[in-house]
Amino acid sequence: MDGSMEFTMGLSEGVAWPWPIAVYLFLAGISGGALVVALAIRFFKGQTANTPLYKAAALISFVTISLGMLCLVLDLTNPLFFWRILVFYNFTSVMSLGVIALCAYIPLTAVLCLYAFEDEIKAIPALSILLPVIKLLKPIRRPLEILTLILAVSVCAYTGFLISALIRFPLINTAVLPALFIASGVSAGAAASKMVSVLVFKEDIHSSELKLLHGAEWPIMIAEILFIVMIAMSLATGNEGAQSAFAAFTSGVWANLFWVGVVGVGFLGPILVNFFTGKTFSHSAKAFYLSGVCVISGMMCLRLFILYAGQTYAI
Amino acid sequence: MSENIERRRFLKGIGAASLIMGPMGCTSVKEDSNNANKPHYVMVFDQNKCTGCGECKQACNAANNLPEGVSKCLMEHQSGGVEGQACPHCGKEECNCERKFVRVSCQQCKNAPCVTVCPTGAAHKDPETGIVTMDDSKCAGCKYCIGACPYNARFINENTDVADNCDFCLTSKLAKGELPACVQQCKYDALVFGDSNDPNSYVNKLLAVKDSVRMKPQFGTEPSLRYIPVVKLGV
Repeated sequence: MDGSMEFTMGLSEGVAWPWPIAVYLFLAGISGGALVVALAIRFFKGQTANTPLYKAAALISFVTISLGMLCLVLDLTNPLFFWRILVFYNFTSVMSLGVIALCAYIPLTAVLCLYAFEDEIKAIPALSILLPVIKLLKPIRRPLEILTLILAVSVCAYTGFLISALIRFPLINTAVLPALFIASGVSAGAAASKMVSVLVFKEDIHSSELKLLHGAEWPIMIAEILFIVMIAMSLATGNEGAQSAFAAFTSGVWANLFWVGVVGVGFLGPILVNFFTGKTFSHSAKAFYLSGVCVISGMMCLRLFILYAGQTYAI
Repeated sequence: MSENIERRRFLKGIGAASLIMGPMGCTSVKEDSNNANKPHYVMVFDQNKCTGCGECKQACNAANNLPEGVSKCLMEHQSGGVEGQACPHCGKEECNCERKFVRVSCQQCKNAPCVTVCPTGAAHKDPETGIVTMDDSKCAGCKYCIGACPYNARFINENTDVADNCDFCLTSKLAKGELPACVQQCKYDALVFGDSNDPNSYVNKLLAVKDSVRMKPQFGTEPSLRYIPVVKLGV
């Protein structure tokens, strides 16, 4: 008898979470990813100085997560109600856990900026008010950085858990999504901090740090591709609802976004630029920026695809 | 020999495990008996009796002061001719399809995804009645509940800017000891409301003799809204 009756209408129209949420997922991924790579390299190499990569990552993470928060607040039906999320908590809700993580993470990204730009702050008299704060925080720099690294991974992962809890959407409701969001966040965060460190903080394109990052990017990209294949295969071989959601990959405007934006620009773009052009071009600054922009745009397309195609192909 | 010793150790392990697991199992039994006195409100929609007049919806809008164009419940016209409209099933203006309507509203799930995901606890279960309802003063309007509801039965109330759902008229009619507005209004007895934990209630007797279904049972949300479908063999 079950299933002998069904309704197809709903009380709300369109997607519940529109593009500002995709932009937020994108910005939060870059923010967490940038800090993950910068802090991992810092610990791995035992660095104590403020390297260009560290400065770039600290700046990017603070700016992107702040802009992300703006997206989140503006997407509320009434942005003036945002304080309610900060006052009331529900520990079964991924969003509530995310708010707790962000409440610690956002101030910590600001603190990391203070550490990273200590010399610059000293040089500007107007900012001298910050110097006692830096002095106060300096003895606990290492523990704070470790905490930030943990929270950066959590922020990347939480954005995945946040939407994978939506059981109505087979494309979104998958266990692999948080892992995919960590991997794509790390690759886009790495690309963003690489570019800013070269462009703003005059890092050498062929420095040992960036070489390490160049090498790490390909395994991360392979992991990303693998996660996407896992999601696609579980839909293609799943139950009726999952199989109908597989159409997200094969037809419609979101399939185009996936194949052109995610696969074409995000994955094939950097591969072509780095392996199928002459050595002089692939080692040039042009190729460096081009493949970085490709990775970041691909990641934005991935978030848009997951959010929109996911909500479109509901059960 | 060694096999025997392995077996003895295995049996010992089972014994120890059952000593630990046994009392754990008992705790849930205790919980159940505590809940036995609590009401479990259910609504039954009988498709055989509903004519699609839509007066339930009007009564709901009036009882809950809903803004123009917004509803807590909808009637989906599934098949059969209504004057001036094409049949949604066969597409013809005039056809012999049976007229069928179905109620679309909050399913009042026992395992409500909206309650689980709500970051502020605004979407919650009323502690007295177990009915899923809203605390408007806590809702931040994040729309997480709307995305999480497998039935697409939640919406933003434009009067309050916060999420809303059918809560069986918890604060309006039920608080006064009346039936929900839609149930009061229905002329054809297509809607029945009551406490299924009360052995003498009419819903209990009705559900005992009628085959009823729940919407989208695969989600495991255990809705409290039951549907009695039109079932004809050999169609």
